[in-house]
Amino acid sequence: MIEALLQLLLNGAASGGVYALVALGYTLVFSVLGVINFAQGALFSVGGYLTFLLMGGKIGVNGALPGWGLPSGLPFWLALLLAAAGSGLIGLLVEQVAFAPLRRRNAEPLLALITSLGAGVVLVNLLQLLMGAEGYAFPQSTDALAGLPDVLVIGGARIRTIQLLLLLISAAAVLVLSLWLERSKGGRALRAVAEDATTAQLLGIPSAAMVRLAFFLSGALAGLGGGLIGVSVSLPGPYFGISYGLKGLAVLVLGGLGSVPGAIAGGLLMGLAEALVPSAASGWRDALAFAILFAVLLLRPSGLLGRRTVEKV
Amino acid sequence: MIDNGLLVQMLLGALLGLSVYLPLAAGQLSLATPAFYAVGGTLAALLSTRWSALGATASGGFPVPSLLLELVLGGLLAGLLALLVGRLVLRLQGIYLAIATIALVEIVRVAILNLPFTGGAVGIFAIPQPFATAAGYLLPALALLALAGWLCQRLEGMPLGRAMAAIRDDELAARCMGIDTTRVKLTAFVLSAVLAGSTGALAAHFLNTWNARQGSFDASITTLAFVILGGSRTWLGPVVGGLLLTALPELLRPVGDVRLVLFGLVILLGPVLAPQGLITPGLLERLGRWGERRGGSPAEEVKP
Amino acid sequence: MSQPLLEVMDLSRRFGGLLALDRVNFAVQPGEIFGLIGPNGAGKTTLFNLISGVTPPSSGAVLWRGGAITGQAPHRLNRLGLARTFQNLRLFEGLSVLDNLLVALQRRPRSSVIGGVLNSANHQHAERQRLDTAWQLLEELGLSALAERQAGTLAYGDRRRLEMARALATRPELLLLDEPAAGLNPAEKDQLCELIGALRQRHQLTVMIIEHHVPLLMRLCDRLAVLDFGVRIALGTPAEVRRDPQVIEAYLGTGGSAS
Repeated sequence: MIEALLQLLLNGAASGGVYALVALGYTLVFSVLGVINFAQGALFSVGGYLTFLLMGGKIGVNGALPGWGLPSGLPFWLALLLAAAGSGLIGLLVEQVAFAPLRRRNAEPLLALITSLGAGVVLVNLLQLLMGAEGYAFPQSTDALAGLPDVLVIGGARIRTIQLLLLLISAAAVLVLSLWLERSKGGRALRAVAEDATTAQLLGIPSAAMVRLAFFLSGALAGLGGGLIGVSVSLPGPYFGISYGLKGLAVLVLGGLGSVPGAIAGGLLMGLAEALVPSAASGWRDALAFAILFAVLLLRPSGLLGRRTVEKV
Repeated sequence: MIDNGLLVQMLLGALLGLSVYLPLAAGQLSLATPAFYAVGGTLAALLSTRWSALGATASGGFPVPSLLLELVLGGLLAGLLALLVGRLVLRLQGIYLAIATIALVEIVRVAILNLPFTGGAVGIFAIPQPFATAAGYLLPALALLALAGWLCQRLEGMPLGRAMAAIRDDELAARCMGIDTTRVKLTAFVLSAVLAGSTGALAAHFLNTWNARQGSFDASITTLAFVILGGSRTWLGPVVGGLLLTALPELLRPVGDVRLVLFGLVILLGPVLAPQGLITPGLLERLGRWGERRGGSPAEEVKP
Repeated sequence: MSQPLLEVMDLSRRFGGLLALDRVNFAVQPGEIFGLIGPNGAGKTTLFNLISGVTPPSSGAVLWRGGAITGQAPHRLNRLGLARTFQNLRLFEGLSVLDNLLVALQRRPRSSVIGGVLNSANHQHAERQRLDTAWQLLEELGLSALAERQAGTLAYGDRRRLEMARALATRPELLLLDEPAAGLNPAEKDQLCELIGALRQRHQLTVMIIEHHVPLLMRLCDRLAVLDFGVRIALGTPAEVRRDPQVIEAYLGTGGSAS
């Protein structure tokens, strides 16, 4: 009984950690600009494919350069880190192309929704052009796991080593980021811009730089999530990030738009809720996140940990 | 390059564009159109393949009156769903409403994928054909679009349409002017759903097979792009946007796999280059004046 | 004394820890012009928001001809006969001046959606009536020449008058004006004063008005209530209020003359 519960917790936390990563990425951008970056799911895909390539994976027969790949692969952790950084840079590019021009002309925020989606469509289809539509599987034994068994038994619960690793890495990333936001000078500056961009500007905090930082970090988090899921499951095709992006959106609302603790708690909650779905009904699992989202929006539109806003007349 | 099949698809695109436009004209960003489209299509696919009273023939033919009945039923079912869901979600504002409607799309998609009678991932196939060729579908699609366009045009001279425009501008002020904004928003939402449902019913026959992929998040985006790129200030905008953007991937077919990248670029750059969309009230006014100078009919004057 | 048109009883509103209104009481008689004054943050606009249904009160009651209307939705209150303007102007800026009025006229007369879609004779008749009323109001407020202009492009004073016209279009018995003279020059203020008086006559209005410009209020109002930190500190005719020691201390300040 206890073992079953532990198993459930571990499974839930492993996928919940990734949801939290994605939701945190949305949160960073939302708290600074008040908009949602719909390219987040595409950046997730980008992270997965970058990790694959950096670890020495070869492009398949349907890609633009069949058989091409790095002469030798990097170790898992380095590839993951570089892929996250790469996704962060592409996130910056998305900001430059999809958000900055609209901001300069004070356009309706609604338009950023479209442009960021457009950026996502471009990214995913570039991936498809380059890598083909087929799925990729990572080599079974990655460096990081060398010497470790495939499956660990913790207190009677069985968990794949890679999933435990996934849980630990996302937990570490989330922890580092929240500490950084809370404690460091840069993090406080970012939050100051989120609170009030004009005042922050007056205080000498360069808000343009902070916006870029938010997009970089947000892209990096998505890329990290993509890399982790890619390694632990597989890369089923360039579109695989989109569904994670959508679930991250559900998590974002569940936790409350713009709330960092909310994004983390929401992610874990979502992971656990999905782990609770019996395997007989696994087809419905993908709807669960949205059913929960629906319920939350109706009962508490500001999310579990969000702030309520009052319109001033 | 544009054959009859593509023309029908373009008309269906224009209809879906209008479906997204209607709530937006009342200031409500709803991405739920694909959910209602899927509901209408699924209903038509089920009815025509399972209910023999509709008169599907062994050779795959289908009576036109039965098709019309399905258009009505598809619209009604989608409208009913919108009535139930709308009461709940329309309390939400802005991005929250957008996300809630995305959630609705996903829930409907997963439901169609998993329900025991909708054919799973394969879906429902061999949907009977009321017309022998794609050209046959042109007439009903065009008629539906004409009906929807006429409705949108009429709205502009009616209290309901003005109330929608007022809510889009300032919901609170509209409430203080005696407008039951909840009711107006719900009406727009239901109209949008009815339109999408009927369009889905027609599309199910046209496409011959129907599955859960018809109403997905991708479709939410694409249909929203119809409105944003076409322009959301007059109903002609989404129509033009729907026609053009549906044709675009096909017209780009010669460039091969790059076409989807180019399609993305259009969505990405369109709002930056033309924030108001292609068709704006100002443009229509200029066109109208130009037409007048050329001896066309003078625009109606609204003077006492 | 006749039945008051509007009564406010022990009305309070709390925003978090701040008590914006504290058990405010007064009654507005039919046909009078009733002024509300008080320093910034005294709770005047909050009071309007409570009366017009924009914000629900924390406690207390609002009565309309003796019946409770507390917490009703703004559109219901408007249909009862209560219309308002906004301190920061909330026009339908994307619509034409004429359409701003047509929006407000949508129930004068009522017409069915079906009739509208089919462009029935009834609908056409109703539309003509709406247009007639709209043009009358535009004429009355001196906005006829601007009818086709987009409301967002009007000059400030014109916007103020358009907002009043729009409120009048809903045929209110009670008109709430939130700082209608803000941003106007002295000549415009005088005109506004006359206009409000004239509108009251022609439309049989009762008017509640928030205004910072004290001389204007003293001239215009039959009675005044003075708010200070959410508390009603005085109530009476302009002459009575002017003599009230609490008002002199709290609001008019040292040497502050009210005329």
